Amino acid sequence: MLWATRRGCHVDRTGCVWLIRRFIDGEAAFSFFEDPAEAPEGAELFDVVGARLSHGGDDCSFETFLKEYSLGDPVLAEISEIVHDADLMDEKYGRPEADGLDAVIRGMQLVLPDDQTLTGYTDAVFEGLYAYLSREVL
Amino acid sequence: MDVAVGTADKTRWLILIYHLPREPSRHRVAVWRKLKALGALYLQDGVAALPADAVTREQLEWLQLRVREAGGRATLWEAWPNTVAENQGLVAAFRAAREEGYRKVIAGAGRIRRKAELGGDEAPLLEGLARTERGFRAERRRDYFRSPLRTEAAQALRAARRTLVEGAEPTDREDVGQGG
Repeated sequence: MLWATRRGCHVDRTGCVWLIRRFIDGEAAFSFFEDPAEAPEGAELFDVVGARLSHGGDDCSFETFLKEYSLGDPVLAEISEIVHDADLMDEKYGRPEADGLDAVIRGMQLVLPDDQTLTGYTDAVFEGLYAYLSREVL
Repeated sequence: MDVAVGTADKTRWLILIYHLPREPSRHRVAVWRKLKALGALYLQDGVAALPADAVTREQLEWLQLRVREAGGRATLWEAWPNTVAENQGLVAAFRAAREEGYRKVIAGAGRIRRKAELGGDEAPLLEGLARTERGFRAERRRDYFRSPLRTEAAQALRAARRTLVEGAEPTDREDVGQGG
């Protein structure tokens, strides 16, 4: 399936890309656009104002994905807290990892040429976070 | 009298204009709190300004959505003040807001350092220091015009931490070996 979101991915969108590839759609392909009007036809939009899979109430898009796809994995719930704090910067969950993740992904944005490349690297970051938290949570 | 000049000398600003129903008040509080956290400056009631960059733009877009979801109205604008002087006034107001925050950090760090020098129970001091450091990071995130007090605040925190950590007697801490 084709998934599409805005260019210039930060922690919420890169997290969603990993989540989609890892837990929702193993065949996922991604398109990154400048303006929602340029989104490819038939693509499932996420983290875009007005999309089903986007911010809602207090939630960031990663949290919305967990709800929409009923992903009850406690490790994913932990990651969603970190993504929330890094994305919305409201210290809702007081996750200390959020500051570090924010800095790492912002830095990667600066040195990597585009979102396809970026999400390749951030997949490994989230995979590592998942493995680490699995050790602590499960 | 100041004269309007080209936009090159001016900051590009984002202006969120919003109106929320009076009740329930929690939405108004949530939006106000978020704008405060972002370091936005209220130009007047329901009109908040932030310097434009990718992060502030995105945060304000989500806030605009939030206002609409709560039954309010919100529009987001990109703007420049008409004159350089007006722009400087805005920048000065932003700097002043951050300096107030940094002064609190400097005072807090100084208090902790002095208490640490006197000895005494470390745990509450470390906790207080962590809180002050969090406060510093929050200020730094919204310090869009690099207040000169930023360096001073960072140094005060480093001095407090050094005093606390170096003054500490080695104890059988459980988390030894977790680092690296």
